Amino acid sequence: MPHDPNRQLQSRALQGMRAMTPLLPGIVPFGLIAGFTPVSFGFTWFDAWAGSLLMFAGASQLAAYQLMNESASLWVILLTVAAINLRYLLYSASIAPHLANADRLTRLLAGYGLTDQIYAICHRDYPTHDWDLQERVAYYAGGSCLIWGLWQACTVLGAFVGQIIPVFWSLEFMIPLTFLALALNTLKSRSHQTAAMTGAFVSFAGLTLPYNLGLILGGIAGIIAGVVHQRMRS
Amino acid sequence: MTEQFIWTVALAGLVTLFLKSAFIEGQHYFQLPQWFIDALEFVPPAILCALVIPGIFKGDVGLVREFGSVPIDPKPIAALIAAMTFLATKKTIPTLLAGMASLYLVFWVQI
Repeated sequence: MPHDPNRQLQSRALQGMRAMTPLLPGIVPFGLIAGFTPVSFGFTWFDAWAGSLLMFAGASQLAAYQLMNESASLWVILLTVAAINLRYLLYSASIAPHLANADRLTRLLAGYGLTDQIYAICHRDYPTHDWDLQERVAYYAGGSCLIWGLWQACTVLGAFVGQIIPVFWSLEFMIPLTFLALALNTLKSRSHQTAAMTGAFVSFAGLTLPYNLGLILGGIAGIIAGVVHQRMRS
Repeated sequence: MTEQFIWTVALAGLVTLFLKSAFIEGQHYFQLPQWFIDALEFVPPAILCALVIPGIFKGDVGLVREFGSVPIDPKPIAALIAAMTFLATKKTIPTLLAGMASLYLVFWVQI
């Protein structure tokens, strides 16, 4: 049968899973950290998992739990989560034309399942293949479900492991260390370095401000510094 | 699980879902201005660095909470060694290991 539509969709979903596979090892340690650090703050394993279920966005999950532990105000937590996840706006805009005619539920699920990884493979493979909407959705679903399942499993496993590990191991310190590595990885140009150093400096100067406001001020100051630096150079 | 926790995580989930699906839902009436796209470049370095600072300078790690404080806080030194490890290797896992190992070491030499 050359054109069995079900089999074709099945093979697209499998193709999505295969494309996703090489990107999976990178999320395992991150997923474990997202599971055991909240537990080291005293959250239950289910609390730790709730972030993965409701947010499904690693770096912002870590930030949210760290800030909750520091008793930051709700607005600071939400603004920080929004800032870390702003990049999804760009992904969403770039992927939207490919999924625009899908039904409401499909689009909502696609939004929920959007990650750096699924964006990377769809952005790469949609333009070079002549797939119809259903095939594109199947490809997206295959890749997304795989990474979603692994992320949930890693968080829960990490949370259970975290319950056994004694407090003095200080596993919660892996959150700032993870952010440090992520931050250093973004320093592509002098303007990025300016943004980073300004952000760190203002955040440090504002350490004693209430509600962790120094963090928000640092973020805003850093962004402005990066933009100004880039404008001045060009 | 406290009521405040549920609200915080649920709202954080909503914010995330909004950002992820803003365009998939309504690309016809929502266009990003260019200045916004330019500024977006600098959000990760700025916010991530701002976020590292309280993690390094605020509060006490589990070691200190369990065994008591030491003259020099081990966190900033451990973070510095982790940063140098990342700049040398460009790899996250060695960075985490170096940071944790130096945290333990700097604490241990002071007791």
